Amino acid sequence: MSRFLLRRVIELVIVFIGVTFIIYAAVFSLPGDPIASMGGDRPLPDNVVARLRAEYRLDEPLIMQYLHYLGGLLTFDLGTTYDGRSIADQLAARWPTTIALALTAWALELFIGVVLGLVAGLRYGTLTDRTILFVTVLATSIPVFVMGVSAQLIFGLELGWVPIAGTSEGWPQAYVLPALIVALYGLASASRLMRGSVVDTLRSDFVRTLVAKGMPSRQIVGVHVMRNSAAPVLTFLAIELGFLLGGTIVIEGIFNIHGVGGLLFDAIRTQQGPLVVGVATALILVFLVVNVLVDVLSSVLDPRIRHD
Amino acid sequence: MNTRTAVALGLGLAFAVTACGDSADDELEASDIDGSISMAVTEPEILIPGRQSVAFDFGMAVWSPLIYLELDGELNYIQAESVESDDQTTWTITLREGWTFHDGSPVTAQDYIDSWNAVAYGPNAFENSGQLANIVGFDDLNPAEGEPETDEMEGLNLVDELTFEVELVGPDSQFPVQLTQAQTALFPMPPSAFEDFDAYNEHPIGNGQFAMVDTYVESEPITVRAYEDYAGDPPNIGEITFVAYSDQVTAYTDALAGNIDVSGVPANRRTQAEDDFGADRNYNFEAPGMNHLGLPLWDERYDDIRVRQAISLAIDRETINDVVFGGAWEPATAWTPAVMPGTPEGICGEYCEYDPEAAAELLEEAGGFEGDMEIVFPGGSGQDDYYNAIANNIRQNLGIEAVAAPTVDWAEFAERRENAEIDGPFFSRWGALYPSQQATIREMYLETGGCTNCVPMYLPEIEEALAEADATGDESGEAYAAVHEILQENFPVVPMFFETYSYATSERVEELVTQPGGNPRLSHIVLVDED
Repeated sequence: MSRFLLRRVIELVIVFIGVTFIIYAAVFSLPGDPIASMGGDRPLPDNVVARLRAEYRLDEPLIMQYLHYLGGLLTFDLGTTYDGRSIADQLAARWPTTIALALTAWALELFIGVVLGLVAGLRYGTLTDRTILFVTVLATSIPVFVMGVSAQLIFGLELGWVPIAGTSEGWPQAYVLPALIVALYGLASASRLMRGSVVDTLRSDFVRTLVAKGMPSRQIVGVHVMRNSAAPVLTFLAIELGFLLGGTIVIEGIFNIHGVGGLLFDAIRTQQGPLVVGVATALILVFLVVNVLVDVLSSVLDPRIRHD
Repeated sequence: MNTRTAVALGLGLAFAVTACGDSADDELEASDIDGSISMAVTEPEILIPGRQSVAFDFGMAVWSPLIYLELDGELNYIQAESVESDDQTTWTITLREGWTFHDGSPVTAQDYIDSWNAVAYGPNAFENSGQLANIVGFDDLNPAEGEPETDEMEGLNLVDELTFEVELVGPDSQFPVQLTQAQTALFPMPPSAFEDFDAYNEHPIGNGQFAMVDTYVESEPITVRAYEDYAGDPPNIGEITFVAYSDQVTAYTDALAGNIDVSGVPANRRTQAEDDFGADRNYNFEAPGMNHLGLPLWDERYDDIRVRQAISLAIDRETINDVVFGGAWEPATAWTPAVMPGTPEGICGEYCEYDPEAAAELLEEAGGFEGDMEIVFPGGSGQDDYYNAIANNIRQNLGIEAVAAPTVDWAEFAERRENAEIDGPFFSRWGALYPSQQATIREMYLETGGCTNCVPMYLPEIEEALAEADATGDESGEAYAAVHEILQENFPVVPMFFETYSYATSERVEELVTQPGGNPRLSHIVLVDED
């Protein structure tokens, strides 16, 4: 296991350097000058532009800028934005919000997805099964901003059940609606995976034996089928958590939740290279760590999976 | 059944999440003055007045200008007792006695000198330093190369505790107007600010009607409360909370639900704002914004003035206004916004009217137009409908294959326009910081102006006429008509609209009052009597 972990960590470092460089280069190659556009449609004086360009090394070649950035990272310095604000502070301010949203959405997705999948699997081939498939796929196919804005108008404006926007009312009121919408988009996959798994498990020999033995069906499903069907769904959901922590740009924007997704969006829009890489780096780390955890977990859950 | 496990798991996560939730509902002490409002804003990030770009409303609450320009054009002396000059070049500013910053320190002439020097000092790289560029010594603080040898402008001289002199590089009758509320770089900062500007940005201290309550934390609301020792007229309300929205449409919906009191109306809600809010909660304020259709005068197809006039004649401004802007804008008939005193409205004459037949004839006289026409505008700014409409007009009325072509973003557009890499008409507007025609003319028509290539025709006659009007003019602004005449003769750009800024309010607001900048004047807001 330790060799396996070591290998994953080394891979992680390589992926990390490669990805950050690619992102850095991509932002660098965007058209337009990030400094010149800082003042909106009111251009900055030339001397200010020149000074800021020099201060943030924008006149140097890409590779030098990147190496300087990487050097900063080694001393845990994420750098500053072009108007001089600390990137680490901004990330620290945004993460709690995104984590709250992501975990809420994830919990909803897990709970609803597993329940729907189980029901569909147990009623395999019936009208219930088809209805669940139809509804979840339909939900997935509605564009997210349509869903978001409609939900805002219905639940926020007309019914007044939840706040329309912002997080000032705190968890859970302010997070329920956006989290539910985010969760809707993963439901089709989660419930399908669970359903398939349940159907397979129900047909397996050991379940047949349990039935023959006369075990109550509540216990068969609740204990044995559930446990044996959970592995693929958990793998999917673990990766899904990585996505969710990446922030959901559209939902965060519509619901005015100041999370990491919005920060990334603004950073790209204003061409703040170091900020884009800073956010992306944090996301990559989350993803890689989640991935390693999933690998470790799945080998623990299912001893047949070996990594050495 | 295993739902129980799942529920338990869900609840467990829920508790874990609660710990991360916001806790921004701290109860705030009430102010002596009743009433509070909230306003939707863009995340300001930078609050220092010499640097801010989207914190105008905040700035005007926390600072008081030397002079407040009223809606009727009257100069209302606030922090300044008088601003006088014999020759329009050397100005003596005398401050009122007894004014203090929110930290209790007195507002002195030295504070103004220190603040202006700090804003102008090149190495500080303050974004709004350009507002001080006409003071003698500004160039010494901003040498083309190397570090400046001094950190003080020669043109600023202390007379006594409350009086200082400002020497300008040339005579300028509009200087008092430049000292008004929207030129935020001229706001005073207390001595404590200069020690650490980062700290000052987190908790700015001004001389205005409202003082900041807490430290600024990004993405959290900013609350300002009426300053008890304010020496001027007290505001109508005791507290303002600025709430940052990343999406203007969300702010609009929130205002509709009554969760926020004042919100801007985003471009794509202009046509429905009156239906949503009713006429008395939807406001369109005249603004010093001038909207043009820029022309690529570096392309020889636009050399003939008749081609430029034909384009102007082919555009149906009235219909575009109704369909795209909900009738809130005003078709332009001159080269500076109508809200600016002395703007000779109607001087553009027949060429700013819609006349498709005359347009086609004029273009034919000029020998037609070769090739296609790409109308370039910054993408992602919600202006697609506007530029598509212009392209349709040109295509239908002039027979030119015109298309509206958005750039990827603002940065790409700015770069292409600055480097003259556009070969069709383009987005060109200027929102002036003080409503004097001088502000718009200087920025759009002088080579040294801020709006690079917004109107790429820099005529010496315009420069002369402007200098003449600056030196001899007065508050009426009539002297600037001479500049309009030159523009009319040369037609370097197509005037499109005098802009308005649109706002909507919650039911708690009885009346939203504006000011010449087109922003709301929050201190004068009238709330519905709730008793």
